[in-house]
Amino acid sequence: MRISPPRLLLIVAFVLVVFLEARTVLAFFGVAVSPLESAIAAVAVIAVLVYWGTRPVDEEPTEE
Amino acid sequence: MSELFVEKYPEQARLIRLAFTASFIALGVGAVFGLLQALHRTDILRIVESPTYYTLLTGHGVFLVVTFTIFFLVGLYQWAVTDSLDRGPVDPRVTWTWYGLMSAGTIITAVTILAGFLGDPPEVLGSELSADVLFTFYAPLQANPLFYVGLVVFVVGTWLAGADWFRTWLAWSRDNPDERIPLPTFMVLTTMIMWYISSIGVAIAILAFILPWSLALTESLNPTLTRTLFWYFGHAFVYFWLLPAYLLWYIVLPKLSGGRLFSDPLARVVFILFVLLSTPVGIHHQYLDPGISEGFKFIAMTNTMFLLLPSLLTAFTVVASMEHGARQRGGEGTFNWLRALPWRDPAFTGMALAGIVFAFGGFTGIVNAGMNINYLVHNSVWIPGHIHTQVGTAVALTLMAGSYWLVPQLTGNRLVNRQAGLVQVVLWFLGIVFMTNSMYRAGLFGVPRRTAEPEYSFEYDIGVGSMAELNVQLALGGTLLFVSAMLFLGIMLLTAFNDDTEPLVDGTIPPALSGPEDSPPVLDNLRLWIAIALVLVVIAYIIPLASIVDRGGLFGPDIGPFPVFVQITDAIPTVFYSLGALIA
Amino acid sequence: MNIHTYERLWIVGAMVLIVGFIATITYGSVGLGITMIDDEEETLAPDEIGEDERFADPRVEQVGEDEYAAYVVAQTFVFQPDPIEIPADSEVTFYVTSRDVIHSFTVVGTNTNTMVIPGEVATMTVEFDEPGEYGVICNEYCGAGHHDMEGELTVVEAEEFDLTDLAVDAPDEVEPGEEVELTATVENGLLEEVETTLTVEIGEETIEEEVVVEGGTSEEITTSVDADDLGEGDHDWTVEVDDESDGGTVTVGTDDGGDES
Ligand code: HEM
Ligand SMILES: [Cu+2]
Ligand SMILES: [Cu+2]
Repeated sequence: MRISPPRLLLIVAFVLVVFLEARTVLAFFGVAVSPLESAIAAVAVIAVLVYWGTRPVDEEPTEE
Repeated sequence: MSELFVEKYPEQARLIRLAFTASFIALGVGAVFGLLQALHRTDILRIVESPTYYTLLTGHGVFLVVTFTIFFLVGLYQWAVTDSLDRGPVDPRVTWTWYGLMSAGTIITAVTILAGFLGDPPEVLGSELSADVLFTFYAPLQANPLFYVGLVVFVVGTWLAGADWFRTWLAWSRDNPDERIPLPTFMVLTTMIMWYISSIGVAIAILAFILPWSLALTESLNPTLTRTLFWYFGHAFVYFWLLPAYLLWYIVLPKLSGGRLFSDPLARVVFILFVLLSTPVGIHHQYLDPGISEGFKFIAMTNTMFLLLPSLLTAFTVVASMEHGARQRGGEGTFNWLRALPWRDPAFTGMALAGIVFAFGGFTGIVNAGMNINYLVHNSVWIPGHIHTQVGTAVALTLMAGSYWLVPQLTGNRLVNRQAGLVQVVLWFLGIVFMTNSMYRAGLFGVPRRTAEPEYSFEYDIGVGSMAELNVQLALGGTLLFVSAMLFLGIMLLTAFNDDTEPLVDGTIPPALSGPEDSPPVLDNLRLWIAIALVLVVIAYIIPLASIVDRGGLFGPDIGPFPVFVQITDAIPTVFYSLGALIA
Repeated sequence: MNIHTYERLWIVGAMVLIVGFIATITYGSVGLGITMIDDEEETLAPDEIGEDERFADPRVEQVGEDEYAAYVVAQTFVFQPDPIEIPADSEVTFYVTSRDVIHSFTVVGTNTNTMVIPGEVATMTVEFDEPGEYGVICNEYCGAGHHDMEGELTVVEAEEFDLTDLAVDAPDEVEPGEEVELTATVENGLLEEVETTLTVEIGEETIEEEVVVEGGTSEEITTSVDADDLGEGDHDWTVEVDDESDGGTVTVGTDDGGDES
């Protein structure tokens, strides 16, 4: 684990929130993003995060 | 580690546990109703007939913003007074009396609301037992008299609770003549002053007008007057929900972050500002009411804007205290200190997330307060969006987070499963963002609040996206909230029975960085603040009230009752009558 | 009292923000002249609505050049009149009152929105630039059928807008050899005179007649057709003017036998 589960959980939650709100903000500027597109994008980002976060720490030094 | 609260004050702990129990039962029922509403409005699942939706909605409003919040408040305040004055009440019988009154009132009112689910409610006190009037009970909608009786008994209970705390404080100050009022007690007393000043309004509305009228003792009333009296109370009412959360943010959150409160004097200033300003603003809920002149609306608007000040001050203090705590824990850098905060603690994380949502809700509140923009959002579903960000999250999530810290001290049991607690607060956060984002957006396109079926024969002009998508998002958010509420209640229940464990909390509250000695003693002069608050209330309300009475009369221009329960049957002839009139 | 420098800055910033908000809103309402719902109108008890000349007959009325008044009554669970038709690019003042509980009068998607409180008359003056159809809803909970309370507001092109009313007096039966006389009363609710065409269709015949009606008055137009030209039997007739129409059937002859037309 490169990141503790609670932090990963929080970051994932924030990613979801940012994607949701970003859609609203973009809509305000006339850029339409479909729910499906934003869901796919959010899931992709989260997958990357989870993959990165759960990989064992090898060479990199840990903080914390 | 200090002695646990439950060991030091077993009787107080028991009372607080009972208050929290009442509060959490209300939360559970309210959450079930909330979920049903979310699914009904969006036409995803309708298990009741649409007219019964309003029974759900009345229950949701009353159980959540009256029972859940206020029972939690009295429990929390009992803790705050006892803990900070280091003594119990003068006479515990009084304490149990107010608890009893509040419980009795709740039960009476709850019965009248829930009877609305019966196909054929019994007749009580001359009218059917039903109260589909929503928590604002605007006359001439009429509920069974018992609905109002229950509310009155409940409010009298809270008044007695306030008196009880004042008495405890007076007894304490006799023993400690030269000491400043400890901050938690100061917060309790100022909150109650605000509550006394404001709840007079709703008490008059009910006792002088609505209750006698519902008992058919008087024939009519002036709906503008009762509505104005309700809102005289109404805005302070929302602060009554909010101030317990503020107490937790000021007293407990800095400690949870690992530090101390930044400034005790400013915390006092903030609470005094609430005493002064939370009542003379109520007319901002009536920007769209005929019968009230523009000038009074303007005064309410300016006062409302000044009421931003205490919340902005709070934002500063809370963030500053958190930063201080993080640095005590070794946090560094401009933003990196955020990483040093105890994010794995659900009590901390819940309050922090609640704070973020509150900041956002503050902006939507400014929109509501703007006299002209208000025309666009008034009574649209934008308003429940605002309600759920504020009382539904800033308050509710803070109270739940606070419970993670407080309940172990009240039970002597260890909190079961902190991880589940963390998941719970994060789920609430997600749920609220999904649900309110949909509500805010739909509200801007004119979708109304308080309706079982928000879709009409015309199409809403939804800028981007579709109504269907907004509906799914609302229902999804509502479901997440519901799951989160159930998870919270489960954790609380298990903790209550988690005997034979040692709690892992430390109940000591460290002193503020800048203590009360830095503040002028005048801040503690409660008489002065009461006097100023009364003057402001008189200035803001005497003329509008006089003008309303002058226009419509004390008992109104002959307005008969509209008991809500007969409307289903009445509605049909009315509709036909009107259609007939139109055709003719 | 000792206040941290940052906190001082924050307080100053907060005050600037607050004063800024008040200033913008003041400008918005005073500077731009946007008026709010207020206590301009006298109170009106619900049981006096029937005697009140504005609300006894809920309607739209012209009150000046490009100025109109719409008198609307809200009650469980309808609005009267419905639909409400108003011209674009004109000042329309809505007067709304309630016969029973508190409702709202809300034109969806606009800021035409007011509470409707029994005993009070809410007024608001608006101008719609674009013709179109708007939903009108009640957004204040008013009882079990609250979600059914809906109306319609139609904004029509100013040139196409009229307040014409039509009433037709026609016989049911005419003897062969006589005249079938249709008397149309065209009422013009506008203040200006209208020039329009009255179209009468009866049997196979179509008669068009130009009519000019002074503002606020009515004209009677009589058209007649020879019953023999129609022939014996039942004949449908319609009279149309602007978008008003009336219709019926006239029978020529007494024999109720076959249908010849
Ligand atoms: C379980 C989570 C919840 C869900 C799914 C939920 C859902 C809803 C929905 C859909 C409405 C809108 C009803 C309408 O206007 O037609 C509503 C209204 C409301 N909710 Fe919630 N809610 C939840 C929790 C809460 C909480 C925790 C509070 C406050 C502590 C709260 C307070 C309110 C209030 C005051 C209203 C307005 C009632 C009225 O208009 O009379 N809700 N809720
Ligand atoms: Cu308010
Ligand atoms: Cu309604």
